[in-house]
Amino acid sequence: MQKEILEIRNLSKSYGRLKALDNLSLKVERGSVFGILGPNGSGKTTTLGILLDIIKADSGEHFWFGQPPDSVLRKRIGALLEQPLFYPYLTAVDNLKIVADIRGVPYDDIDEVLEMVHLSDRKLYKYSTYSLGMKQRLAIAAAMLGNPEVLILDEPTNGLDPKGIADIRNLILEAAGRGFTIILASHLLDEVEKVCSHVMILEKGKKRYAGPVDEALAGSVIMEVAATDPEKLQLALKKIAAVKSVARQGENFVLTVAEDLHPGLLNKMLAEQGIFLTHLAVRNKSLEKYFLELLSDSQ
Amino acid sequence: MKRLIKIDFRKYARNRTFRILGLLYVVLVVFVFLVTESFLNHVISHVGKGSPVTVPDFSLYSFPYVWHNMTFIAGFFKIFLALIVIIFVTNEYSYKTIRQNIMSGMSRVEFLLSKVIFVFFISFAVTLVLFLTALFLGIFHTEHLTVALVLAKIYFVPAYFLEIFAFLLLAMLFAFVLQKQGLAISVFALYYYVLEPVVAFKLPDAIARFLPIKMITHLIDVPNSSLMKLFGVNFRETVSWTDVWGCAAYSLLFIALVYLFLKNRDL
Repeated sequence: MQKEILEIRNLSKSYGRLKALDNLSLKVERGSVFGILGPNGSGKTTTLGILLDIIKADSGEHFWFGQPPDSVLRKRIGALLEQPLFYPYLTAVDNLKIVADIRGVPYDDIDEVLEMVHLSDRKLYKYSTYSLGMKQRLAIAAAMLGNPEVLILDEPTNGLDPKGIADIRNLILEAAGRGFTIILASHLLDEVEKVCSHVMILEKGKKRYAGPVDEALAGSVIMEVAATDPEKLQLALKKIAAVKSVARQGENFVLTVAEDLHPGLLNKMLAEQGIFLTHLAVRNKSLEKYFLELLSDSQ
Repeated sequence: MKRLIKIDFRKYARNRTFRILGLLYVVLVVFVFLVTESFLNHVISHVGKGSPVTVPDFSLYSFPYVWHNMTFIAGFFKIFLALIVIIFVTNEYSYKTIRQNIMSGMSRVEFLLSKVIFVFFISFAVTLVLFLTALFLGIFHTEHLTVALVLAKIYFVPAYFLEIFAFLLLAMLFAFVLQKQGLAISVFALYYYVLEPVVAFKLPDAIARFLPIKMITHLIDVPNSSLMKLFGVNFRETVSWTDVWGCAAYSLLFIALVYLFLKNRDL
């Protein structure tokens, strides 16, 4: 069996002068839960749009299941892109029948996916009567229809209440457990951290990091410091070699430091320069920290 | 093919706008067919009152002339059908369901094909309505009914089909390119009623004749009734092959243009 489910080579796309995607290359392995992280406008949806033939790339190519993309391969991919898109005057069932006919899967699966997203009791209502959360769940049902090998979910928890978010998260984990490959774009960091095995961080259309989530989290320590004179503190911090990055968060500075720099040593080094800390804390590294750290590097 | 018909049919069958517009069209056209004759006779006998020549009552409905007369009259209402096509193609853009369709595994060519099938289906349905109405009118208004008489000018029916099909494909082209419903409807109407007539007026006849709307409308010329002969005007009583090939070529061209437009565009 093909190990790579998706390969992207040197994809670029511009909207006028704005470079939405800049020479992006990427591989996604079968069975992984792959998160695409990035601030708003970083090119997440553009990337997924290209993968689904909604958007045409300016240059570069991509391969699904090792083959050049076409509509037949696309039937093996279930996707939710940005927002749910259905015929408002049709019922949920009729809308899903259209999707089933396009995919060439039997109608029997419809009840099953509607059950999965808890829409069974509203399945004969028109789509236009649905709330935002229900629309979103219907879109997820449409993506899962016919057991596709790959699920692409772009901001799947948009518009959902906390229970809905937890439901979707469980759904994703369950699907991953059954061997689906999932590509999940989100700006919600803890969402990605909780469910993803791999992650890519995008910024202004450029890849900043791609690899296992564990690796992104390993290798350095996060500390939080503050002093009465923040500017002076910032200058001093930048001179210390073991401090890899500095990001300001209100009164505090969030630092990524080498593993051998323990808090006592840092405190001592700063005190020698006449800076006395009012706050010093060691934090467990999360994807959020890593993300901020990467983005602060580039500024 | 069957799959595409099924998919597209589901999009319209339950739609209220589609049902109402479709029903309205059928009722309107059948009504107009039924009253045109008595209306014309009424007007003419009125006009004929002071005339030195006696104006004869005439029948629009006798075979074989009914085919030409009815297809010509029905031609006036095709803008109504164009409206339906534009509404449903632009809906796919405003609901962004074209995205969902492509994402789910339709190719762009299949999407275009499904809309061509939709246009074909509408053209076929209205041709059928016309055929049946004209057939009944003819049967009840022809004195010496023979099969040969019925079939004599029946080629106006397929010509009418081609007229509607080509015309609706032009409407489809406008809808795909402009995407916004209001914009597509107004620009199409502007082209149909103002732009092309003005251009046609400025151009020499030999060239103007080949403009799309001109060509499509020219397929079925004004019927030559006994009344026209009275005034000494003589219109073409047949369908010319030039027009048939011209309309067929335009149909292909419109489809090809949509294909080129759709092929490399972001949706």
